[in-house]
Amino acid sequence: MKIDLSRFQAAFFEESAEHVTTMEEGLLQLERRPDDLDLINRIFRAAHSIKGNSGMFKLTAITEFTHLLENLLDQLRTGQRTLTKPVMDALLESTDGLKHLIEAAKTGEAHDEGRIAILRERLTGGAVHIEAPPVAAVHSPRASRRVKIEWTPGPTLFQRGLDPVQIVKELEHVGRVQTILRGLEALPALADLDPERCYLAWTFVLDTAESDQTIAEVFEFVREDSQIVMEADAASVCPSIACDSVTPAVPTGTSVPSRSTATGDVPPAMVPNPAGPVAKKSDGASIRVDTEKIDKLINLVGELVITQSMLSQLGNHFESPDLPVLQERLAQLERNTREIQERVMSIRMLPVAMVFNKFPRVVRDLAAKSGKDIQLILAGEETELDKTVIESIGDPLTHLIRNAADHALESPEERLALGKPAQGTVRLSAYQEGGNIYISVQDDGRGLNRDKIVAKARASGIIGPDEQLSDEQVWLLIFRAGFSTAEKVTEVSGRGVGMDVVRRNIEGLGGTIAIKTEAGQGTTFLLKLPLTLAIVEGMAVRVGSETYLVPLLSIIESLQPSAGAVKTIVGKGQVINVRGLYIPIVRLYEAFHLEADHTEPTQAILIIVETESERVALMVDELLGQQQVVIKNLEQNFHKVDGIAGATILGDGTVGFIVDVRGMLAISRGVAVAA
Amino acid sequence: MSKTVLIVDDSATMRQMVNFTLTGAGFTVVEAGDGADAVKKLTAGTKPNLVITDLNMPNMDGISLIKEIRKMGTLKFTPILMLTTESTDDKKKEGQAAGATGWIVKPFNPEQMLKVIAKVLPS
Repeated sequence: MKIDLSRFQAAFFEESAEHVTTMEEGLLQLERRPDDLDLINRIFRAAHSIKGNSGMFKLTAITEFTHLLENLLDQLRTGQRTLTKPVMDALLESTDGLKHLIEAAKTGEAHDEGRIAILRERLTGGAVHIEAPPVAAVHSPRASRRVKIEWTPGPTLFQRGLDPVQIVKELEHVGRVQTILRGLEALPALADLDPERCYLAWTFVLDTAESDQTIAEVFEFVREDSQIVMEADAASVCPSIACDSVTPAVPTGTSVPSRSTATGDVPPAMVPNPAGPVAKKSDGASIRVDTEKIDKLINLVGELVITQSMLSQLGNHFESPDLPVLQERLAQLERNTREIQERVMSIRMLPVAMVFNKFPRVVRDLAAKSGKDIQLILAGEETELDKTVIESIGDPLTHLIRNAADHALESPEERLALGKPAQGTVRLSAYQEGGNIYISVQDDGRGLNRDKIVAKARASGIIGPDEQLSDEQVWLLIFRAGFSTAEKVTEVSGRGVGMDVVRRNIEGLGGTIAIKTEAGQGTTFLLKLPLTLAIVEGMAVRVGSETYLVPLLSIIESLQPSAGAVKTIVGKGQVINVRGLYIPIVRLYEAFHLEADHTEPTQAILIIVETESERVALMVDELLGQQQVVIKNLEQNFHKVDGIAGATILGDGTVGFIVDVRGMLAISRGVAVAA
Repeated sequence: MSKTVLIVDDSATMRQMVNFTLTGAGFTVVEAGDGADAVKKLTAGTKPNLVITDLNMPNMDGISLIKEIRKMGTLKFTPILMLTTESTDDKKKEGQAAGATGWIVKPFNPEQMLKVIAKVLPS
């Protein structure tokens, strides 16, 4: 019977990827704390694990390569080698090489041997030494013979959990045990006897056709502590067994070799089977689930929340003597539903570390390329975010960090001349506040250059020659498409992906981005992101007989303007003056072709919303209150409607539309064009 | 009654493979992620007939675990096999001194593992 373990290969690849990440992260930390033994041990363990497991699947290239990595790590650990920069580079590049090997094994393609060979050389410092795998013992039939074995176990036999009976049983598998003699010479007087110690010795006479090697294997675990003498017994070869072997019989009469290298016969490899069934990784602490299943669950829970709130509303207007009881039960239902909702949503949550962890390497490479000394500080990596958000913030963050490292931070000489430490710092941190996650990218570089930005904006006609802007408005200019002040395009940034893309990505997630900067002190980008994309906190508003939801995240304030505040500006339509800032008014009843209660801004309510750093005043009849709703995609079920981001089912069972704030901004611009 | 084997390894893949092999051979398997986890499970009442432990593990390594187990009265004579990639004798010696019954050298195949288990575990 052959037990097939290839089904565990998928789990191996996954686990190995985690180990490689551990190694990479560990190495980067090690660069700063080269004496941290725990850290080296952790890296070592990861390499060791990959080595051991890859061997199980006969992925020899991986096993041998990690073996070299492990050797180097061991030399670092024992102080035989020191962690110089070339060594660190070799180690880091080898983790890349290891990734490549694992990927190659996964896809079944051949790996790039040239690349690996170079890395091997760098790991060993030239002296490649690959331990040969133990050679399989060749078993050949032997003539039956009689062997006498004298075995005197060490006194600690029992304390190691060994049982002499097991040895006898095993010997019986090797041949026929003719006699067993007990040796009692070492037995002490009863008073001195320690029942946990072994004082006995045995002599076996064995008829066997097996080699000395095989007999020795029986004693493999006790050899070290015991005295074993094996010799040919007088009565020799048993003629009944054919002697067709061409291998000369091993001379008998020698004692068991002191060290056996064979680990038994090596049956054919567990053939890697990439097309085989994929094992779902489960280690008791976690299980892997298809995200589609979770999304379905989230959707269902959304429905449940709606049903529950419909019931609650019904319960408020119910005529029944049991009304108090009903309401109590409904309140209970609401609590439980909320909790289920939160728990289910949390399934999709992942620590932001998933994104953050790739940046130490990014920054290290950037520093190496630009000749700068850069320190990256990570904070709040354990903060959790929705998986979709996590997957979408990688690129914007990479861009911001590259910008910080490449443009914002000065060269060490420049920094010293300015009285700053030569080492520049980029700080990446995440934290939760209310229903939002904040991620900040902070550098202590030169800060945004107001004059340069204004000059560039004037030159490209984004602002008029005489237009005066506040600092804040100037900073926002860098988010305009095609706006880059980088004097020269360097290798790492300035490749056309601008800050406008960053902002669009963040806003596409329902988030916002803000800038704080001070000349010579540095710049901070603050990203505000929703915890999840499936649920939106909204303000329910009424326009005529319709209910709409305005995402709370984009609302700045709500007000009823006085007559003097509303002005009509030629070419810009109607605007409202809010503390000196003129904001275009969008009448929702006009945008959605409805009959509204009020057509005069002074009688209606204006909700000031902000997106893309621009503000729009939405005119509605009434504010109904704050509400958490589950977003239903309109495009998937109907088609895209301008100004509408999605639909939801409200507590009373009717459908409410979620206002697309960016769409409203576009409408306000359209109004401007039309007027 | 089926015999219980406690597997201690920080690699989930390894635990899965060993678990799969042993369950198929009729053993009841308990898993632990490292030495400390194993001690926790043993003090909580798990009574294995055999312990199989990796050596390189976080929190508590295999050698320390073996020493801990040998200190537990009820497990004084329980067979303990260690999983090792070391083909050198150093680790084996260290393991034996700590009280390990035997070892399985990685990489091994399931049949080899079952063979070694048969060697130390009375049927």
